[in-house]
Amino acid sequence: MNRLANGLSAFSLLGRTALLASVFGTSLLAATSVSAQEIRVWSGYPEMAAFYEHVAEGMKDEYPDLKVSVEAIALREHEKRVALGITSGESAEVIELATTIAARYLEGGLLNTPPADVQDFVKDPANYTEFFANAASYDGTVFGVPLFRGQSALYYNTDMFAAAGLAEPPKTMADFDAYAEKLAQRDASGVPTVSGWSMRLSGGGSGIAEKFAINMWQHGDELLKPAGDGKWVSNFASDAGVATLKQYLHNLFETKVVTVEMPADADAFERGQTAMFIRESWVIGDIAAKAPDLKYATATLPRGSIVSTGQLYVKASGDKETAAWAFIKATQEPENLVWLLDNVGWLPNRTGDYSSVVATKPGFDAYVNLPAEYAFFTVPAIGPIDEIQTRSAAFLVEAYAKPELAGDDAAIKAFLETIDTEINSILEREGLLGQ
Amino acid sequence: MTDTQPQSHPRGDDGRRLTPKERMTNLGIDVVLFTFGLLMILPLVLLVANAFKTPQEMLSWPPTIIPSNPTLDNFSAVLAETPLLTWIFNSLAFALCSAVAILITSTIAGYVLAKFPSKTMGAIFAVILATAIVPFEVYMIPLYFAAQSLGILNSLWGLLLGYLVMSFGIFLIRQNVIQTIPDELLEAARIDGAGEIWIFIRIVLPLLRGALGALFVLAFFQAWTAFAWPLIVATTSSSYTIEVGLALFQTGFTVDLGRLSAASAIVLVPSVVLFLILRKNFVQGMASTGLKE
Amino acid sequence: MRIRKRWLFSLLAILPVLAIFTYVRIIPIGEILRLSLHKWDILSRNKPFIGFANFIELTRDRLFHEALINTAIIAFGVLIITVPLGIALAALIHHRVKSRFSSFYETSVFIPHVVSLVPAAMAWKWIFDARLGPLNAFLSMFGVQPQAWLFDPVLSIICIIVLCSWQALGYAVLIYLVGFKTLPESLYEAARLDGATGLQSFWFLSVPMLKPISLYVSVVTLVSAFNVYAQVYVLASDAQGAPGRQVRVMVLDMLENSFRNYRVGYAASEAVVLLLIVLILTYVQFSLLRDRRTK
Repeated sequence: MNRLANGLSAFSLLGRTALLASVFGTSLLAATSVSAQEIRVWSGYPEMAAFYEHVAEGMKDEYPDLKVSVEAIALREHEKRVALGITSGESAEVIELATTIAARYLEGGLLNTPPADVQDFVKDPANYTEFFANAASYDGTVFGVPLFRGQSALYYNTDMFAAAGLAEPPKTMADFDAYAEKLAQRDASGVPTVSGWSMRLSGGGSGIAEKFAINMWQHGDELLKPAGDGKWVSNFASDAGVATLKQYLHNLFETKVVTVEMPADADAFERGQTAMFIRESWVIGDIAAKAPDLKYATATLPRGSIVSTGQLYVKASGDKETAAWAFIKATQEPENLVWLLDNVGWLPNRTGDYSSVVATKPGFDAYVNLPAEYAFFTVPAIGPIDEIQTRSAAFLVEAYAKPELAGDDAAIKAFLETIDTEINSILEREGLLGQ
Repeated sequence: MTDTQPQSHPRGDDGRRLTPKERMTNLGIDVVLFTFGLLMILPLVLLVANAFKTPQEMLSWPPTIIPSNPTLDNFSAVLAETPLLTWIFNSLAFALCSAVAILITSTIAGYVLAKFPSKTMGAIFAVILATAIVPFEVYMIPLYFAAQSLGILNSLWGLLLGYLVMSFGIFLIRQNVIQTIPDELLEAARIDGAGEIWIFIRIVLPLLRGALGALFVLAFFQAWTAFAWPLIVATTSSSYTIEVGLALFQTGFTVDLGRLSAASAIVLVPSVVLFLILRKNFVQGMASTGLKE
Repeated sequence: MRIRKRWLFSLLAILPVLAIFTYVRIIPIGEILRLSLHKWDILSRNKPFIGFANFIELTRDRLFHEALINTAIIAFGVLIITVPLGIALAALIHHRVKSRFSSFYETSVFIPHVVSLVPAAMAWKWIFDARLGPLNAFLSMFGVQPQAWLFDPVLSIICIIVLCSWQALGYAVLIYLVGFKTLPESLYEAARLDGATGLQSFWFLSVPMLKPISLYVSVVTLVSAFNVYAQVYVLASDAQGAPGRQVRVMVLDMLENSFRNYRVGYAASEAVVLLLIVLILTYVQFSLLRDRRTK
């Protein structure tokens, strides 16, 4: 964890102080001849389609015959098609995957090992901090090329903050509660019409658990605790877990600043239906596209953030493999990565000079200009992580509908213990349960 | 309508004059049925209307029924952004091939099971009937691995694998053969020296025309509206059927409701038109599923 | 000689069909039964036999229970709406079969049954939309507060029931219409002469005589509603920045276990449970029918 924090603060320094653009980029792109052919790119983020198309456009001069078709669909569907496609040899040539998801395929030896030049490129500390190189590796071998990462920050509506007499973003988790209470707007009958703090209370499953984990990190702990030897123990019923669920229930049932039914997340924020919420940097690009007039700012979280890394992997052979790696190399051109940050909003993992974008879009500040003590965590890259998150999400959704738990520490702890029991039984089934 | 309608059919089924009270009742029933019918198609009408709305109008409150500034932008955008026509083509090819395959397998099996009775055939028929009640979703997963081992995922063949036979189709044809084709007819042809294949093609098939039409429509729409199977078999954009393509498209990022509606309207219109053309066949086909139980 | 030739023809004709049928139906069904007793993660080669462990785990799997309960509520909800409404509409349409609009009545009720599921579900998703949907706009005319139809735990299931019923109704009406056509006209004539109102002859003649049809429609409706998936998929789907509310149903849980959690054997055991439910429903139907015949 320490290494990660160091790596990231190094990145943020680089981002802010405008270091030299990498000189290795150009050498990597030494042309390999590729004949007329098509490669496909699978992405789990529809907004990334524009980026991949931009990269392909830029390759036109050097590879006039290469056709790149980008198929970007929602993350859950993407992960499912990857599962189906890779096991049956029917996948795209270039696949974007999070470290946690890639682990299973790398374990099964189902993704290509990159050529030596790509491996060296990823291992070069001038290109990527050790953290990102590790995230792209399995068992000490580089398999993917780091592309972007999900990191969280607070988005808040500055107009609403001003109206509530709040000048600064919340600094502690206690602040969040107090702020949310001041920010919530209600109709005559007291039902909130604008949520004070949009918390993730519904959705496709793993997202609920992930957002819970981000809040729990602010309270000082993680959902799963490493127990050595690659084993884990479920940690919901820890003090931090209790504090986190207690805070959700406090906002839901005691101060009633948010409800399960209300519009939530980026969509609600863009429509002025919530005063603040925590999310990744793509929201900046999203707001620019959908609600350009929205007055908002971002802020770092009280303790630190999640980091989930996305890499590009190859599943192909022959000429297609060559073309796929050429494409991936092209994504790492400094010009393209600046374009990514500027137009899509996901944070590029390659070390480089992004100051031009950060200067014009102050929203990125909360992602790159970080306090010295800012701490990061990652979701464990273990096979059943998705199932663990989905199952704990089902419990959490149940808890979010139980007003009787609010304020009752003992009951909250008892409830979280039932989650631990269930999650530990999954870990045990997979031989991953520690002591 | 209220003033002139009653005079147009003033007599009941038995030819006797209807009392004013009965005429009022009939009128009331007409009003109820008419309203209900409109309500049933209203969601589809709304969807088509949405396809012509501008993004601003889409977000306006209260929602409008008829677009105030009809635009074709949604259609051109959706056709430019998605391989919608490819998906429609895939769906059409899938539905047509499936219908043909089911027609062939059902006709052969139905005819043989009806006209060549034996212990073996009886047993075969029993097995086919028994599998008819097993929902497709139950054995979809093993079938997926069968398609995988054949290497036909992401292809028309992969889609077809799940839709080559239809237990009910075999059943339907068998019942029809028993009812409409007398044994004497076949015997007479045999005595005239006709071969079995000739009999099947020249005598049996023409007599089954009605049932075959019904089965064709039934099978066509079954494949046309298939969802779970294409969703797992087709994982690449070029092999999606329209149902899968649209379902995934709607989870997209820059997608707005107007474009989704346009895409949906493009899909809805041909299937509704097709249904209206084939309505008689379809009704007959569907109805016979209930009758023979 | 001729007999043998005919026998040979029948055998040669049915063998290919039988081969296909076996490959795409019988083997997969057998395979699902076999897989349900094994543990298999798709990626690895070995599939250890684990007896009934999958089924034992199902008994304490909360997500599966949730899926089972939701699916059952949806299936019976669709049944309760579709069957009574179906028979009533069919009676009315049958009564007005000579009306110049009769084909409109029939077609309008039936069209939802044949249109593609996904576009139709999208239309409903918009109707139910809390912010922009016409349903809330309509209700607000009567002073009803806007409801978050697709987010409320109870309302979201009701939405799915409404959507599924909308699609299933046409089929029920059609089958009932066929049933009405088989009922003897003379009986109604006699009842009318005895002074029975239309409502009375519907209730005391049609409903009892159509009982076999009702049972058939009930089972078909229930079984197909137990396999609900596409409707849930569309109504609950969420975009990246706008979470939806997942209504877990059996097919969804099955596919998730199989292709997200890589637990094919476990998913197979869920499929077997689904199969058992369908078999029980069919059995109940047959025994109800037999009851009636023996009476």
